[in-house]
Amino acid sequence: MAVCPVCNAKFDSGDYYTMATHFINLAEDSDAYHVQWINRNISRKKMDITQFTSAIENFYNIAHGGIKEWIINKFVEQFRGENPHPFILKMQSYSKPVMMGYAIEHYFFLKQWVKSCSIIISKTDLDDVQRYEIENILSEYYGRGRKKPHIELLLEMGEELGMDRVQIFATEPLDSTKFAISRWKEITNSCNWICIMAAMHSLELVANSKLNNYGAKYDYFNPGMLDSPLVPDSVKKFLGEGYKSDYSHSFRALDIIAKYCHDYNMEGIQDAYLMSAYAFDRYLEARMERGEMFENQ
Amino acid sequence: MKCLKTNNENGCALCDATWGEYYREIENEKMFFCCNICADIFENMVNAVKKETGWDHIDSVELHGNYSKGRNCTATSGNNTFRYYFRTYSDGRMMEFKKL
Ligand SMILES: [Zn+2]
Ligand SMILES: [Zn+2]
Repeated sequence: MAVCPVCNAKFDSGDYYTMATHFINLAEDSDAYHVQWINRNISRKKMDITQFTSAIENFYNIAHGGIKEWIINKFVEQFRGENPHPFILKMQSYSKPVMMGYAIEHYFFLKQWVKSCSIIISKTDLDDVQRYEIENILSEYYGRGRKKPHIELLLEMGEELGMDRVQIFATEPLDSTKFAISRWKEITNSCNWICIMAAMHSLELVANSKLNNYGAKYDYFNPGMLDSPLVPDSVKKFLGEGYKSDYSHSFRALDIIAKYCHDYNMEGIQDAYLMSAYAFDRYLEARMERGEMFENQ
Repeated sequence: MKCLKTNNENGCALCDATWGEYYREIENEKMFFCCNICADIFENMVNAVKKETGWDHIDSVELHGNYSKGRNCTATSGNNTFRYYFRTYSDGRMMEFKKL
């Protein structure tokens, strides 16, 4: 099965012709989100159906480097390449409102995150997968030994920046966050464990500090922030922790996916990734939007 | 009749993409856009420039950049020029607009 990452329309496996037709028809109608996706992922130059079909085929091609490299390359291009996500650009210098926005929207992201990880556990009998997810839940959500979980570091950051955690819990996430969460819910409810893994853990690449070999042009955030006297301690702790752990998290998950992918439909894994990356793109905008709301207060 | 020109001559007045076929009249010019979001962005930008400068008409806009890094622009009206930078959310709402 192939899926349109924009609108979730479904096509037969490998039927790139019908998928291309879908895009071309919607582009002819000037459907904004489809046109935007084509402009950013395929080309801003109009193509005929034959050219577009082979462009889509090429887009899905994993002959070079397999699924792990395909996901990393796609992710880097969309979020940390030559034209990075605007949120990444915002993170190249410290901004208190942006970090406040981050604290609020990311709280809701993490609430969904832990649900996705536990659904993966429930959908497989593979030991290494279950253990990986348990470790992930511990470090993101529960803590390990004396180490605080990521969600606690996030809330402490929010508090140092002047928010009450009760206020964070009670805030309604922005529409872009809600859209993303509903899509992740849908993926976790309807997909098998390996697709959910591809959808969720690929997102941890955002903070991975070892992506330069894959063409990353920007760090997740300016590492100078970790030494800057202008940056509050809780922000340093929060960012520093993610920086270290998301590196091993994301690569380890991709290694697991690469290990088992041949027992599953490859295109399904790719589509789960694309659907999730599309949602993540919107979600990162919510962090900025919330930051802007604080800035204008 | 006065109208508005941009440096994007191949396609969409904002992003130069040749997909889509969406027209909107802005500053008396029937302009081509790839989608309604690009049209919204362009229209909001025109209004922001007019508000900032007090001009009642814009003759031309030169845009350099993209959705990721935002756009550096030069607008002209008669003998006047105005340089600015702006960036939007992907649904078209203005994120940042500043005079250069
Ligand atoms: Zn679609
Ligand atoms: Zn456009």
